[in-house]
Amino acid sequence: MTPFHLNNKTILVTGASSGIGRQAAIGISAMGANVVITGRDKNRLNDTFLNLKGNNNIQLTSDFTIEEELISLVKKIPQLDGVFNCAGIVKPFPIKFISAQVLSEVFDVNFNAQVLLMSHLFRSKKINKNASIVFSSSIAATHPYKGGALYSSSKAALETYSKVIALEFSNVGIRSNCIASAMVKTPMYDTAEHQGTKERMDEHIKKYPLGVGLPSDVTNAVIYLLSDASRWMTGQTITLDGGFLLGDF
Amino acid sequence: MEDIAEFIKKIEFEMDEIEPDTIKPETNFRELEQWSSMMGLIFIALIDTEYNVTLNGNDLINCVTVNDLYQVVKSKI
Repeated sequence: MTPFHLNNKTILVTGASSGIGRQAAIGISAMGANVVITGRDKNRLNDTFLNLKGNNNIQLTSDFTIEEELISLVKKIPQLDGVFNCAGIVKPFPIKFISAQVLSEVFDVNFNAQVLLMSHLFRSKKINKNASIVFSSSIAATHPYKGGALYSSSKAALETYSKVIALEFSNVGIRSNCIASAMVKTPMYDTAEHQGTKERMDEHIKKYPLGVGLPSDVTNAVIYLLSDASRWMTGQTITLDGGFLLGDF
Repeated sequence: MEDIAEFIKKIEFEMDEIEPDTIKPETNFRELEQWSSMMGLIFIALIDTEYNVTLNGNDLINCVTVNDLYQVVKSKI
């Protein structure tokens, strides 16, 4: 019997209204899991929901950056065998202009909300034994870029946080890992292209031996981490970059 | 919005090692010695911080002179 499936598991996917989160939710449901999806945009979240396989999926619109909303959301979430934390934003800002407002804009979504969600889920015993937690990091956590102080730091913080989950919950077989992806073709890619320029983005993508990533490429790695096939893997980060970090190409 | 002289003063303040009054409204900012992609990011953040106007890379690409930039900011306030 192959362990590469998600049958009989219930998986929470945050940030499921678009991009990697959306594709992951669909892929996870196709692998047999019941999926609980959350996101801020009700219409787009519903669009993801309509694409899920199976009849036991749940959608919950919520803004995790508001703690009261988060607490009431956690009450509605069933027992979980896995979580894919996929909410995130990108906002380039040079160091000398970083203000308290910009700082919290990025960290609230990319780090604080995910940390608070996990605390509340653990505290209310919603995470089953042998569950698997996955965070969406970025190669920027270890290979930052100019203007990326906040984005890169928030992802680096997430990677270290994930390792502490791995340590604190190993006694109940709960694992925690990250996926550090390079550029993936999502609405966030379009935003980054818009924030910079199309020319610069095209130049960047030329350095990928296997080309730019697709949300399904990330989904397949997430499925592996959520499945029992990765039973012995915890506190790690899987890099998915189409060969970008290998060197000159 | 304040006049273009003030706008230019703010830009000059952000550029290291530039003589005051080097920049004129008709200056092509990409031809300045201090210009770099980092300066582009700094311009965007400066305008975001000072005027609460969000420019994107393409807004910047369509500007040639400092006056072009000033006009774009002014139109978005």
